[in-house]
Amino acid sequence: MAQETTNFKQDILFHEFNATETDYNQRGYHLEVALEVNQVRKFAQKAYDQGFFLVFVTGFHVLPEETEEGTTSGLNGVYQFARFDRLYRIKGQVSVPEDMSLPSICDIYQGADWHERETRDLYGINFEGHPNLKPLLLSDEDKDFHPLLKEEKKLKSLEKVSWPPEALESVDADTDAKASSTDSIDSQPIKK
Amino acid sequence: MLESDFQKQNRFFLNMGPQHPSTHGVLLIVLEMSGEYVLDPQPVLGFIHRMHEKMAESKPCQSFMPNTARMDYVCALPYNHGYVSLVERKAGIEVPRRAEYIRVITSELNRVASHLLWLGAYLLDLGAFTPILYGFDDREHILDILEDITGSRLTYCYYRFGGVNQDIDDKFVDSTRAFIKRLRKRFVIYEKLVTKNIIFIKRTENIGIVSPDMALRYGMTGPNLRGSGIAYDVRKNEPYSIYPEFDFEVPVGEQGDCLDRYMVRVREMEQSLRIIEQALDRLPEGPVRAKVPKNIKLSPGDCNFAVEAARGELSYYLVGDGTGVPYRLKVRVPSYSNLSCLPELGRGILLPDLVSILGSFDLVIPEMDR
Repeated sequence: MAQETTNFKQDILFHEFNATETDYNQRGYHLEVALEVNQVRKFAQKAYDQGFFLVFVTGFHVLPEETEEGTTSGLNGVYQFARFDRLYRIKGQVSVPEDMSLPSICDIYQGADWHERETRDLYGINFEGHPNLKPLLLSDEDKDFHPLLKEEKKLKSLEKVSWPPEALESVDADTDAKASSTDSIDSQPIKK
Repeated sequence: MLESDFQKQNRFFLNMGPQHPSTHGVLLIVLEMSGEYVLDPQPVLGFIHRMHEKMAESKPCQSFMPNTARMDYVCALPYNHGYVSLVERKAGIEVPRRAEYIRVITSELNRVASHLLWLGAYLLDLGAFTPILYGFDDREHILDILEDITGSRLTYCYYRFGGVNQDIDDKFVDSTRAFIKRLRKRFVIYEKLVTKNIIFIKRTENIGIVSPDMALRYGMTGPNLRGSGIAYDVRKNEPYSIYPEFDFEVPVGEQGDCLDRYMVRVREMEQSLRIIEQALDRLPEGPVRAKVPKNIKLSPGDCNFAVEAARGELSYYLVGDGTGVPYRLKVRVPSYSNLSCLPELGRGILLPDLVSILGSFDLVIPEMDR
């Protein structure tokens, strides 16, 4: 099953999106897709057509940035999909615009229904087109309380919480060095 | 479903839970009913929501270890396993082989304990009282074995970054072997008592059929998915730890009804025993804990780690920012996605069948609510 991954990757590149292959051993997923808001539904539909299942929808909160179109909200939506038949895990990430809304994908993946409601609870992201965007984990009284939004002084910029572009080389060198140093202590360390 | 005029005019709402024994915890399901048929079941979650993800963001990553066991308290060790492996992947920590063997043995023991509890509780839901006494009796042996080495009976905090807390001893190995021998004999009893019982079969066969497409749309995983005939097991499909070294099968069902989900779990227990036996036979000597820095720094960037918990795929998704405190930790729990199909699956069925379906899903409510 898992061995087929390499050939498989070539057929399934998400061409129309801004996708980069990532090092699975470091990150635990194979493909990172940077999405625009208007691409989210297309991306989910493509994933569904190709037989991916939805692992989760969530978000995280970073420092808002000034861009050409205006200030971002600082929130990011994260979508993860994987496959039942092969080892292939993809992540989509989208920056939530200032009006705090993302298109809902719960008509494509019905399982996204609860994930989107949870994300609204925790971050206040409004999923447009969701039929029933009521609080799920939090109570109705806490409708406007979003616990995972960070205080301003704790916010970091997106750049500071993302892999640096040169991460691949430097971390590879690090793990090699570590592996050789632990060799002397433990007989046979597990390669993660 | 036949609906008389009287029933059509007298549809009503029924609150199942949060104190209902068949929801196995504080879960509320609001049912729109017509007579004894369910028209629309809507689960209401969050009764024991504790915001574990916020707790993870507010303390050093090693302090979050006890929290992992408090999500799924029935099968806590795979939750430990996923979290330590995630941080080890992020920080590039190597784990001694003996430690990985101990992790696999204890995780699989915990999985068997979880399935035994489920077996008893499910049969109790269906009105059979005896099996839970047998199930608890066997499970008690596992809890005793695990208590000796981990120090706790349910909410384990046994694994550490780079290994496990303490080494296992001969007593552990002997009692585990004795337990495997004992449980194999008990499987025969279970088969006679439950699997061939005509009332049990009538209550489960062709009830709550989950099609492969439905499983995919809702992201179902674990035995619930395998009951529908899809052999997806994280231990095989996305091998972690030392699972690729063991010879075991992934049991699957045929049509995805409650009986298939039952059969998958029963057969899975035998596979777990096989893994434990092989691991005990090949248990290597050596240290059980690598040297790791006291304050682990989580480098910037995200990282994912998935493991197979007793109820399905458990994914930890971490965003690091260079400090020792996770910037964001998302826990993807299996029961959450598994239950989310209930509104679709439970439409137009009898109320007793809904109880059968809920039981067959093997829900753990604190895991869903987090």
